Amino acid sequence: MNEHKISAVSAFWYTGISLTLALAFFLVTSGYDRIARFGGTVWVFILSMIITMPIIIPWIKKKYN
Amino acid sequence: MEYSSTTLPVQGMICASCVAHVEKALKNLAGVEEAKVNLMSGKAAVDYNPDKVGITDMVKAIEAVGFQVPPDELSFKVTGMSCAACVSKVEKTIKALAGVSGVVVNLATDSAIVNLYPGAVDKIAIKKAVEGLGYSIEDRGNAQSELDRERQAREDEIKKQKRNMWLTWPLGLITMAGTMREMLGMENMIPAWMANNFFLWAVTTPVVIAGGWQFFVKSWQGLKRGVTDMNLLYATGIGASYFIAVINTVWPDAGFGGPQATFYESAALLTAFIVLGRYLEALTRGRTSEAIRKLMSLQSKVARVLRDGQEIEIPAEEVEISDLVTVRPGESIPVDGRVIEGYSSVDESMITGESIPVEKREGDQVIGGTINKNGAFKFEATKVGKDTALAQIIQLVENAQGSKAPIQKIADVVAGNFILAVHLLALVVFGFWFFIGYNIWFTPDSTFLLSTSSLGSIGVFGFSMLMSLTVLVISCPCAVGLATPSAIMAGSGKAAENGILFKGAEAIEISSRLKTIVFDKTGTLTKGEPSVTDVIATGSLSGDEVLRLAALAEKNSEHPLGEAIVRGAEEKGLAVQAVGSFNAIPGHGIEANFEDKTILLGNRRLMKQRNIDIDSYVKQVEDLESQGKTVMFMVVDDQFAGLIAVADTLKESSVEAVQRLKEMGIKVGMITGDNRRTAEAIARQAGIAYVMAEVLPEDKANEVIKLQKQGDKVAMVGDGINDAPALAQADVGIAIGSGTDVAKETGDIILIKGDLRDVVSAIEVGKATMDKVRQNLWWAFGYNTLGIPIAAGLLYPFTGWIVSPQLAALFMALSSFSVTMNTLMLKGFEPSMKKHQEHKAANQMHEVAA
Repeated sequence: MNEHKISAVSAFWYTGISLTLALAFFLVTSGYDRIARFGGTVWVFILSMIITMPIIIPWIKKKYN
Repeated sequence: MEYSSTTLPVQGMICASCVAHVEKALKNLAGVEEAKVNLMSGKAAVDYNPDKVGITDMVKAIEAVGFQVPPDELSFKVTGMSCAACVSKVEKTIKALAGVSGVVVNLATDSAIVNLYPGAVDKIAIKKAVEGLGYSIEDRGNAQSELDRERQAREDEIKKQKRNMWLTWPLGLITMAGTMREMLGMENMIPAWMANNFFLWAVTTPVVIAGGWQFFVKSWQGLKRGVTDMNLLYATGIGASYFIAVINTVWPDAGFGGPQATFYESAALLTAFIVLGRYLEALTRGRTSEAIRKLMSLQSKVARVLRDGQEIEIPAEEVEISDLVTVRPGESIPVDGRVIEGYSSVDESMITGESIPVEKREGDQVIGGTINKNGAFKFEATKVGKDTALAQIIQLVENAQGSKAPIQKIADVVAGNFILAVHLLALVVFGFWFFIGYNIWFTPDSTFLLSTSSLGSIGVFGFSMLMSLTVLVISCPCAVGLATPSAIMAGSGKAAENGILFKGAEAIEISSRLKTIVFDKTGTLTKGEPSVTDVIATGSLSGDEVLRLAALAEKNSEHPLGEAIVRGAEEKGLAVQAVGSFNAIPGHGIEANFEDKTILLGNRRLMKQRNIDIDSYVKQVEDLESQGKTVMFMVVDDQFAGLIAVADTLKESSVEAVQRLKEMGIKVGMITGDNRRTAEAIARQAGIAYVMAEVLPEDKANEVIKLQKQGDKVAMVGDGINDAPALAQADVGIAIGSGTDVAKETGDIILIKGDLRDVVSAIEVGKATMDKVRQNLWWAFGYNTLGIPIAAGLLYPFTGWIVSPQLAALFMALSSFSVTMNTLMLKGFEPSMKKHQEHKAANQMHEVAA
């Protein structure tokens, strides 16, 4: 699998996981004000991306190489 | 199925049968599809399935059938690494390449040393893999060009961060003044427009963009390749603070504490402190490599050589072996050589650590890089270029500085996963304060630690994000990454200054834990220049004839005792001709033939082996041995002909060194092939109680094993040639320099001069270095262990303490700075023996003057 495809597959996974976590946060914070709810969702998404990217990319590379 | 191909070099094949062996060994491996071995080129081409078999398996299979796959070593310069996480990523990536057997990446030296099997992987593949991570990689040049390059890179970094500081600090302080105008009660001094949020926005933006941009770029470059480093922590911290401040300006009711708590000062000062940290790091990091720089500066630029009868000045690197070189008073000696004319004293302190100048006369060796004091002389160049002692010392120090101590493994594991763990923690901290902590413990009158700044009406999101953000900013893997390599660099450099060469970081670490030291006797504890003291004729031959026959039998021997006999005969004017045949009997003596006579010369074991009766002389022999003399028995044509006693004297430094080692709580022993009585006499003089006598050369290593089995770390001190197996067996082999060819010495530590006090100094340098490593690690881990929970708000429910992001940035910057500063304190370290010698020399000078 070439580098481009690895990047695409990795992006699918880490973005998917981060979005899922952010969505989960959004759903469980229905009782909070809008700023907290949306701001928190964005922050959770950013941190989730930072955490998942270095885990997912090498894992996909290893799997397909 | 896709197969990979590789070519491995194979050594030791001499015929087609070897080829068949290697091919069979390879083909027997599961996953090897095809193996073709070429005898002429000495290479094996293999097609294999990388999922089933690796290069290491192939190498093992080849070596198992008795052939070798010689590994190669490549050295690279890797730039752009900022913390131990980068080191871990680069190491993992290179190690993952098929054909790489080992890799050591060093943050302090920006180096990567790769062990590989040539043919299986090449430079291009390694460079491509590292560049893929976002770092720059290039071949390492020679030490001088590396130093120049390193210095240039450091100067560029200093210049860049200095420029950033000129921007970030004044603007950061303006932002702070504006933000804190009311809090500090300075309404009269600071105009109101300076506190306007839009003004603060305008001032902070260039700080974040110009000062912080470097961190955003680098962290994104790494992140998109799946690599996290220190820059990511900076970028997240600066970005989030700035983002909060902008939201607070545009939407004051967003819940970040209202318009009075804008966080602009956080974003600006955070950037300023991080830039300050980078600047201090660049300023101090290069200082740990000063030892190499000092050594490099010793190399002469020019040499004056005699060519075609004329004295001409040429660049030192153009001196050739056998060139006649002239040296005038005050000049530096350009290369290694042997004095052929003239007399002078030479200051060798820069190489050997010996402060007293050494006299040089015809036949003496001179070392390149040392300084001629008062006389002029001519010498013949014997070693030039990279073979000179100085070049070899530089290489050894470089290797030691680039190696890793076992203790660093823990730090590497922690630092490799640190950034990820901190981000994970930041997420947990955010969730905790968002869902639980804020509602239970938050009070609006909360203030930042060391600040009067109140959090006011900050909302749940603002508060939770603040805690999360501070965790990111306060953590410092940089300190963890620098703790060990910076101390190892400084320690090995300090050792080199004192004429002690550590071959690797492991030797430094083990030397600090030594419990037992075993000294070889001849040439180590003693001067190794014995002289004949007694010749006793026991048969029909005269004493002189006994000595003459012994001398001619020993003429081809390189043993110090043999040389003493030859010297003794020559001093008496006896003719020492060449013998017909000569046979050394290891651990026993020698056998030689001369004019139809068979001469045997050796110890008791040899006499016993050849059934020679020596009983009537036992008392006489014992008397000589109890005086510390080594007695040799001579037999001519199976008739006991005489005794020759040879005595060696202790080095002046031996007693002092042994005494100091015992004071340090180290068990000191002596090992020798000599008989017990002689050995004990010498040991008594040296102050050694534990004696291993009558040990054959091949058994010395076994004696070391016996000591190791007692559970102690054992060092063996020997001359590096006769004692090679024992030196290799010991946990640390300490070789006494036997000349200028330091790189060829066996041993983990090389003492350039034969002074045993340097054994003490080596241990002291090892202990001081490891103390620094431990202090640094303690500080780095302690700082993070303490700082991160406080930043996460662990103490907030009890004390109301909250760390502001800018204070966290200050702590973080000081953390790595303090590790480097602590390491630099090693520069002031002086071994106790050296201090004692200097004190003694000063007293002598004082007495002379009086």
